[in-house]
Amino acid sequence: MSPLVRKTWRDDRRAIIGWALGIAAFTTIYTSFYASFAGAAQLKDDALPEGMKNFLSVQDMTSPAGYLQATVYSLVGPLLVVMAALVLTVRTIPRPEEDGGIELLMVNPLSRRAFAAQRLLATFIGVTALAAIPGVLVLAIAPGVGIDVPAGNIASASVGLVGLAWCYLGITFAVGAATGRRGLALAVGGGLAVTGYILRGISGIIDGGDWLKWLSPFHYFIGTDPLHTGWHPAHLLALVAVGVVGAAAGIVMFDRRDVGV
Amino acid sequence: MLWSMTDDIAVRAEDLTKFYGTRRGIEGLDLEVRTGEVMGFLGPNGAGKTTTIRLLLDFLRPTRGHATVLGMDPRRDKATLHAQIGYLPGELAFPGREKAADLLKFFADSRGGVAWQTVTGLAERLELDLSRPIHTLSKGNKQKVGLVQAFMHSPALLILDEPTSGLDPLMQQEFLALVREARAAGQTVFMSSHVLAEVQQTADRVAIVRDGHLAAVERVESLGRRAVRTVEIHFDGPVDAAEFAALPGVSDVTASGPVLRCTVDGRLDPLIKAAARHDVVDLLSAEPDLEETFLSFYYHSEGAGDVAAGA
Repeated sequence: MSPLVRKTWRDDRRAIIGWALGIAAFTTIYTSFYASFAGAAQLKDDALPEGMKNFLSVQDMTSPAGYLQATVYSLVGPLLVVMAALVLTVRTIPRPEEDGGIELLMVNPLSRRAFAAQRLLATFIGVTALAAIPGVLVLAIAPGVGIDVPAGNIASASVGLVGLAWCYLGITFAVGAATGRRGLALAVGGGLAVTGYILRGISGIIDGGDWLKWLSPFHYFIGTDPLHTGWHPAHLLALVAVGVVGAAAGIVMFDRRDVGV
Repeated sequence: MLWSMTDDIAVRAEDLTKFYGTRRGIEGLDLEVRTGEVMGFLGPNGAGKTTTIRLLLDFLRPTRGHATVLGMDPRRDKATLHAQIGYLPGELAFPGREKAADLLKFFADSRGGVAWQTVTGLAERLELDLSRPIHTLSKGNKQKVGLVQAFMHSPALLILDEPTSGLDPLMQQEFLALVREARAAGQTVFMSSHVLAEVQQTADRVAIVRDGHLAAVERVESLGRRAVRTVEIHFDGPVDAAEFAALPGVSDVTASGPVLRCTVDGRLDPLIKAAARHDVVDLLSAEPDLEETFLSFYYHSEGAGDVAAGA
């Protein structure tokens, strides 16, 4: 790896470790809890109104797949992973640009595009590792606590979570690289994440609103019910496509503007 | 080397212009820095020095005109070019919270492996402790880290923005020694400053900018020759100020009894010839100070007095 990629990792180390611990703790606690939860599941399931369950993309909390979906893959899991992706992504260009450190990063003998690409590569690898943590832990813990969901289905949902992170990474990178403004990049990335989540939620509960789900990245991640139905490559590719377009657009726009004005 | 094939000009700016919206950074800059010289780039804060430097480094893109650095295009050839440039930012901010040594290792690696001995050698000369985390260093020590990274790879061109800011006088002397050694080794130095002393001691030529425009380019010696100097003449009896006020180059004449004070721009001859008509007891001519010369560029140009006073 290039000196710049290693430097980027060194500067992001604390943030990456912190998010990794948080995501791992969350996943481990919820997944392990299934054994003691199973008995009370029916109770919880009955307590939640149908509309709320639809909004939270919870079909049935009583089945192992339903439980995993309701805990790790529904709200908090994607929330943590997407937040980590946003926070790390604004460290590529906007943050050093705002605090002035970018000048001494850019004295690297690299073209503008190579510079942006290497900053992105370092963050892409970090975010991918963070987004993969839930999948790895669920695959490891599930058999021992009586969650009998096929490993392939867990893998497909987990890859979808990684794809979701890539999607928002790409969007946030594009805004940050094009403008150099951290607040704006976070606002756009975070705003679109919240909007995407809500769109998928309301598409299931309002009449004639079903088409709205196609606008939501969350639909491509979890709307296919991967824990029951397995792999849906086209949906996953849609998430990857958004990420790739965002990355490419960010690199091109960074190459065309003034830095540190 | 690649750049020596083109010509003996290290930096050439042609009509180089940068506007930030409607605010002017630098306008119509035509400037040549010769290979192997030390050029001082002087002007008050806000005159456009940093804008010019950032244009040369391709951090900013010109609104109009263009620059050629080491015979190359700052944007197209950025990767090649930056391997041959040492840059010290005017506003130092370091990425990360690591030790000075680790940060400097990153610079050494990214430039294709600078011998670590070179880095430690520079650090010793500047009395910089490399084992401390960057963010705990004082302003002066941070400046030293910046200088070490700029000089470490013996670049063909050093672009230094306010290089002595924060350094104590002893370290300023050490820095000036580094600049002289760089010139002796054939490196070109382009350094901005609003402090004249450091430029006076090392620079071959100075370019002076004011309000976004190039005001003058001069050899440092000729800048001294055409300096405005203060002259005080003691006569053996009272003299009349009016007798001297009309002499060419003489101004600000005051006479109090036998003592005449005035400032002279250029040759002293007319004043001396006029004074010789009386009995002269003593004559004091203050050493031409570049600082005064520098300021005269502002005071003697319309509407620029406020800028100079504020600098």
